[in-house]
Amino acid sequence: MATTAAVTLNSDLLSDSISLTASSTLMKAGTTADDLDMVDYGVIDIVTGDQFDLFDADNPSGSPVAGLLQNKANKVYIANHSTDETYYVEIMIDAQNVGRLYAGDWMFIPWSAEDANADIEITANTGTNKIEYALFHQGRTLDAS
Amino acid sequence: MATTTATIVLSSTDLLSDELSLTSTATLTQAGNSTGLTGTEGLARKTVTGGHAQYTLFDGSDFTADKAHKVYLKNLSTTASEYFLITVNAEDVGRLYAGDWALIPWSAHDNDNDIKIDPSAADMTLEYMLFTDE
Repeated sequence: MATTAAVTLNSDLLSDSISLTASSTLMKAGTTADDLDMVDYGVIDIVTGDQFDLFDADNPSGSPVAGLLQNKANKVYIANHSTDETYYVEIMIDAQNVGRLYAGDWMFIPWSAEDANADIEITANTGTNKIEYALFHQGRTLDAS
Repeated sequence: MATTTATIVLSSTDLLSDELSLTSTATLTQAGNSTGLTGTEGLARKTVTGGHAQYTLFDGSDFTADKAHKVYLKNLSTTASEYFLITVNAEDVGRLYAGDWALIPWSAHDNDNDIKIDPSAADMTLEYMLFTDE
C-alpha cells in the first residue's frame, strides 16, 4: 500500500518566483517498507460557540498510553471549505493555540497524540465553517459499546 | 499584490477500495481578507548538529498575534527512524519523520507561542519557510 502527499508552493512575493515541490510517502513510524494503511475521513459543519474534539487522542478511551496513535507518524489534513474570507476555525492541541485556518485554507501536519489530552481541537469563528478532514494512521481501537 | 498558492495532492491506489485522489489549492491571504501574504522568512535549511534538544525555530513574540501565518517544514533525513518533534509552546504537535513535510497554520497567539523543533539524532537537517501575515 502507498499513500503519497505532495505539496506545491508557488509565489511571486519575492523578486524572483518561488516554486517548491515536496512529496512524501506516508509511512508508519520509523519504517521504509510499511505504509500508513488506515484513514478516518469526513466532512462536517462546525458551528460557532463551542470547542470540539475533531480527533481524540484518548483512544481507546481510558488507555492513552496503550493507544495505537501515541507517538506515531499520524498525519492530519484539514481544509476549511468556507467561502467568506472572514470565517476561520481555530486549531488547538490540548488547549494550546496552533493556528487559524481561514476560508479556503488547508493544513497538513504530523500528530503525535502524545497523551490522553493531546486532542486536535477545533473552534469555528464568525459563522458555521464546513470542514473536510482526514487522519492517516496505523491503527486505533474503537471504544467498546 | 503578491499571490502565493499552496496545493496539496493526497493520492493512493490501494488505501481504499477505490482510488484516492484529493487535491486542494489555497491562496495564502491575510487574516479575514483577500489580500495575499507579502512576507516570508526562508526558504532555508538548518542542520542541527547537537542532536536531541529543543530549539526555537520561530519566536511567537517576533510576529503579530492571531494572524494567518503559515509554516512549511520538511525533514531532509533519509534515515527512516529519524524525526523532528514539532512543538508549539510546550505542546507537542507531532513527529516529522524522514522525508515528511508539513504545512501548519500558525497564529503566533502570544509571546510563548513559539514553533520549536527537537531532532531525534545529531546532524539532522530541516528545510523550512514561514509566510507571514504582518
